[in-house]
Amino acid sequence: MIAEMKHYGSVAYCFARLAIQRQLEYPLFLVSWFLMIPIQYFSGIWMIQIIVERFQALKGWEFPELAFIYGLALLSHGLLVVFFINTWHMDHMVIEGLFDRLLLRPMSVFFQLVASYVNFIGLVDLIPGIIIFLYACNAVGFDWTFINICKLISVIIGGVLLRAALFIALGSISFWTKRNSSTVSFALTILDRVTMYPITLYPYLVQVLFTFILPIGFISFYPAADFLQQDAPFHLPLNMAIWSPLIGILCFSLSLLVFKLGMKHYESSGS
Amino acid sequence: MRILSNITYRFEVFAAIFTNIIILVASVFLWQTAYNGISQVESFTLKEIVTYTVLSILLGSVYITDVQNTIYYRIREGKIVTDFFRPIPLLTSYLADDIGSSISALVNRVLPLFLFASLVFGPPLPATWVSFLLFIPSCILGYAILWLLSALVGLTAFWVMELGNLGMVKDSIVRVLSGSIVPLWFFPDGIQKVSAYLPFQYTYQAPLSIYIGAASSNKALVGMGIQCIWIILLTLLLAAAWKRTKSKTLIQGG
Repeated sequence: MIAEMKHYGSVAYCFARLAIQRQLEYPLFLVSWFLMIPIQYFSGIWMIQIIVERFQALKGWEFPELAFIYGLALLSHGLLVVFFINTWHMDHMVIEGLFDRLLLRPMSVFFQLVASYVNFIGLVDLIPGIIIFLYACNAVGFDWTFINICKLISVIIGGVLLRAALFIALGSISFWTKRNSSTVSFALTILDRVTMYPITLYPYLVQVLFTFILPIGFISFYPAADFLQQDAPFHLPLNMAIWSPLIGILCFSLSLLVFKLGMKHYESSGS
Repeated sequence: MRILSNITYRFEVFAAIFTNIIILVASVFLWQTAYNGISQVESFTLKEIVTYTVLSILLGSVYITDVQNTIYYRIREGKIVTDFFRPIPLLTSYLADDIGSSISALVNRVLPLFLFASLVFGPPLPATWVSFLLFIPSCILGYAILWLLSALVGLTAFWVMELGNLGMVKDSIVRVLSGSIVPLWFFPDGIQKVSAYLPFQYTYQAPLSIYIGAASSNKALVGMGIQCIWIILLTLLLAAAWKRTKSKTLIQGG
């Protein structure tokens, strides 16, 4: 058991080193990411600031609190981009026959899929996230107690798992249909709009949808509502923030089931 | 298998439309929340801003300027050489490609989005017939500015070989400074002053403000004049850059 874990660990390390070397090959590629990601996210939060300043607090959420949601959402997004980016390209792997290669090796296919591409560039996604989040924590006077830090970490892990679950489930569709690249951008858009703004902006039915059916409200909205003691549309037993890691683990396990089911149906594209 | 792949292909088209629908719905709800209980801000009513937002998303799906990516991929795959042998100038043929995609987007992207927006939020009508008639040429001029900017970014691929996401960097700057998400009227005064001297706001905000009636006919004509000046400037710049780039490519090829 321990020997096996060690073996997996060393393989993951080797994969990561290769991935980093591969990405450092084109410097301008890296530079363009360094420009684009911060411009994109800082301008996003800036738009919110302009709206709140010219108009009013959005459903009782002042700008620092909105920045708190935005930053929290970006942290789990950044970690997803670093560790799970391969789940965005599963249809590509199926069509190009790259999946066959994973099947030939004597290791868990899912592990290989995830570990074979540690997206070093994804760290750039974390920079605006960290800056916006720390700014917001300072502005709302976030209490850095031991319990709060533990809660925060578990919420972020839950958020990453929730996001990953969505992409794994969507990616697994390509085992049946071969193509699904536009569903990835579809999912990214939904995630952006639901995790970066309070879901109370939306009609009641949409709130129900993103709480109970596709629970991505738990990535950033419910934890933020809990930390900042803002009104949430539904009152659940237990602390709101506790739900994030629980639902994260549940959804992640479900998506692994879908992945395994898909693998059984997988037939090589023959290319 | 055949049926599956057909379904998936159609699914791809629908997914693209649904992505835009989500952006549209989410933006409208954001404005509705911002306007909650307020009748107007900077003399703009909620209805005007919703029309502005819907039209901005429609424009975004018609303004197709793939030229930067086309140049980038053609260079990477070495196909740019065969393009030089075509009987029409290279950039003109890429422009024709983009205009073709834009026109087909009018039917398969704008139409469904417009119908959806009309059903859910009421039809986003122009302020008057005159404003609609002025809106159309202003859109075309706006598209020209956007395309020239894309072509200029695309040309840098000849020099650096690996363009990376420089095109997306440009796109994110355009998205903010063109007023396509939040109209520039709500921006801090300093930024408004600076952006009056930049080409970006003449791609989205100029035609859109004509459409919702924020710019009178006189102002609209002045706006189109400025658009034309930008088109001339950018065309000259592109021509100069193209001349230098072309000789560089030919040397490499020889």
